[in-house]
Amino acid sequence: MKKIYFMPIMAIILTSALMLTCITNQVSWQSREYFKELRYTIGLPSIAIGTNYEGTRNPLLEVFVRSLYDIPGGYDYVVPSSFIDTPLKLKDYHESVPGFNLTTRRG
Amino acid sequence: MRSAVIIVTFLIATTMVSAVLFTKEGLEREAEISVKTAPDLTVQYLKAGRVELIPLEYAKTIAGVEGVKAVIPRIWGYAGISTYTFTVIGLDTSSIQYTSFGSIESGRFLTPDDAGKGNIVIGKLIAGLLNVKVGDDIILLSESVEANKFHVVGLFSDASSIYTADMIVMSIQDARQFFRMPDGYVTDFAVYVEDYEQPANVAAKMSFLPNARILDQDLLLRGYKAAYGARGGIFVTLWTILLVGAALVAFSQAVVVGHESKFEVGLLKTFGFTTLDIIEVRLVESLVLGFFATSLGMILGYVYAAYFNAPGLVDILLGWAFLPREFRLPVFISWTSVFSIYAVTVIPLIITTVVPAWLNAITDPELAMRRAAA
Repeated sequence: MKKIYFMPIMAIILTSALMLTCITNQVSWQSREYFKELRYTIGLPSIAIGTNYEGTRNPLLEVFVRSLYDIPGGYDYVVPSSFIDTPLKLKDYHESVPGFNLTTRRG
Repeated sequence: MRSAVIIVTFLIATTMVSAVLFTKEGLEREAEISVKTAPDLTVQYLKAGRVELIPLEYAKTIAGVEGVKAVIPRIWGYAGISTYTFTVIGLDTSSIQYTSFGSIESGRFLTPDDAGKGNIVIGKLIAGLLNVKVGDDIILLSESVEANKFHVVGLFSDASSIYTADMIVMSIQDARQFFRMPDGYVTDFAVYVEDYEQPANVAAKMSFLPNARILDQDLLLRGYKAAYGARGGIFVTLWTILLVGAALVAFSQAVVVGHESKFEVGLLKTFGFTTLDIIEVRLVESLVLGFFATSLGMILGYVYAAYFNAPGLVDILLGWAFLPREFRLPVFISWTSVFSIYAVTVIPLIITTVVPAWLNAITDPELAMRRAAA
């Protein structure tokens, strides 16, 4: 193979491989076993990402953590977001995270 | 040299961006699936803005609301073993609707006969940590530093680890005993509504309940997406800035290496190439380089996240959370992500190489070669 053809051919091969990976990945998500009966019985929405952090009840940190801490099974999901900015300043948090503004949300 | 700089820079940037985007979408999708199987409504008790235990007597009131099909009390919380925190789930065993669970690798799931007997079903993470199997007894320390003995009757499978790895499932009576929770109180209620009713409408009918916070699936999902989206978004923004920087490097290279390029262009024009032909050559070159580097970067990003759990990057997405070794990151490659990454790499690259090529091509060939030789 001529050297000049190497890059174009590799570009086509790699792009095709990526498309194939994308299709395979999407098919695998569709055919995945979700154990619906178990999830329904347990009823907690979170996946099993654990926490090493033991200070979730720290009064200061709880201001950050509580935005998802109190959601069933969601005890640690907010933590990744807590470093971005003070959630109190973020409109997105204030409006989209239930209970964050300490008011009862009904219906 | 110019090609090497473009390939390396784009390769690194697209690997990082794609790994984060694919992982973020995988986590969001996983949360979406879990939320769909969560109760229609979750009722908690608020006091002074804090979540507290909810009185069991609320169950009767909630069950009386029009459109409510079932109200299931739950006790759940966390237990620490070593440096890990595990989720303890107390189920009302009499309300379990299924008899067989595909997620059990060995042993069995709880039955109504297990109520208050100390029988538990555990995930792979805790089983590996304590080196226990079905039939073994384990002792867990509660928050009140009291030893609680449990008997393992079931072990969740590897395939279900993403949901069960950190779980200890027991009867609600055992959970009450473990957490030393007072009689007449539970953590929350899982509420299921009739098929013909909208959960939001039923939730609205519960607004008379004092101190209640009612969460529906939509709120839960938005909460998760806000968390992952914000974190992933910041990271992707940073790397997109780097990509723009890379495009500027490409532009700079095209201009700085312009002497050589100008000579080439002058020579081509002498041989009869038109300005359009030269632009076409540069366009094809940019497309080849862009698709080569970006496609390879995305494949590497996928492998890095799906097979190596994205060391370094995963900490940014998960924060203080950790990913048990027992399962792999959920990685989802959407067409939107793939084409977005192509859009922020290939298009800027085309612009930043074609424009200098056009500038060179419109110069008089003799002048271009003389200047380049000078």
